[in-house]
Amino acid sequence: MKKDFKLIIDNEGLENQSATDAGGRDELQRWPLFGLSVGSFLQVIAMERQTCMMEVYLDADHWGHFCFVEGDLYDAVSGAMSGEKAAMEMISWENVRLNIKQILNTTGLTRKIDKNLMLLLMESTRLRDEGGDDENQPDPEVAEDSEDREVVADHADSEKLSACLNIMVKDMGDALTAVSIVDVGKGKVLASYHTAPETAEAFSGLTNFLQSAFRENTQAVLGDHLILDLKNQQTLVLLLFGEQQWCIVFDNVKCTLGLLRNVVMPKVIRTFNEMK
Amino acid sequence: MNIQKLNVCMDILKKDLGEGFVASCILTTEDGQVLVATDQANIAEATLLNDATALIRNALKTYPAELGQYYYIDVAGNMAILVIPFGDYQWTITVNKKLVKLGLLLNVVLPAIINAFEDAVVS
Repeated sequence: MKKDFKLIIDNEGLENQSATDAGGRDELQRWPLFGLSVGSFLQVIAMERQTCMMEVYLDADHWGHFCFVEGDLYDAVSGAMSGEKAAMEMISWENVRLNIKQILNTTGLTRKIDKNLMLLLMESTRLRDEGGDDENQPDPEVAEDSEDREVVADHADSEKLSACLNIMVKDMGDALTAVSIVDVGKGKVLASYHTAPETAEAFSGLTNFLQSAFRENTQAVLGDHLILDLKNQQTLVLLLFGEQQWCIVFDNVKCTLGLLRNVVMPKVIRTFNEMK
Repeated sequence: MNIQKLNVCMDILKKDLGEGFVASCILTTEDGQVLVATDQANIAEATLLNDATALIRNALKTYPAELGQYYYIDVAGNMAILVIPFGDYQWTITVNKKLVKLGLLLNVVLPAIINAFEDAVVS
């Protein structure tokens, strides 16, 4: 899926820019970058392990910033909101202008966002989709079989999930052993690759067990991922975001955990986010 | 099982993780009884993870696949739990994930402590 980005840096071409409804030229010069989505830019900063502040401008009433320390998202501020709430708000903005500022001293910075950026982006997409459900009444279940892939979801999600599976299959090649995407709340398998429904359901059951066991017996709350070392050089990564659970099994010699977490999954999420 | 070596395992772990170490507990998988635990160890959590390991093994049978040397659970906030099932025993380690990088934990600390743990168990 190709998308033509128009990226303007250092204020070139501001005279002809009409993509924002911002006020005057001075105002635009404060945010010289545009053409990329907030999510895409956040992923670039995270992948480059930058320590910086990314300022985001939607309009005179909606602007804020993200703080990164060595690629980790530490905080976000937008109006009266801060932390994860502000981050989710700004990620949902479209047609924004951006600016990057270096952070020279991080000693006073307090980390307010614990969630992995990747999962914040997926959660944002999920919320956006849920918001759009009223306009697009879900079709009856659509099943799309293509060789080993199987996608069973409403029409809006099926294309996204299918595209995501395609990317994983292409990028990971024969390192990818199996994938399943499950709606944990409904106990429904949304998409799968080389995974039997009973396997996907078994891991959905495991997540439910851990979530309720943690909630009822300890003060801890289950986070957003599990990593299982398997025999025969396999690794299983279980990602949780909202009601969805992604279960990915791969050969950890052919594809490292770092490659999956830092290269493949961001690409998958970017695709998931960019598809309308 | 060599208790002295088991205590050595704990010492290695504390030394390697430094301030990232939060708590640790070793229990028997058969009855969930604790053998060794540090001050901050959450015994209830460790016992539940004993059940979780059984669930994981059952879930993996459907692939089919088998659990390897460890599994890692991300916990909301600063913590994460590393679980090392080995034979009749299970070692649960709670770390501060903000202070211990995942790569360091899995690629440096884990191999060292697994060797020490296996040595303690078979002695």
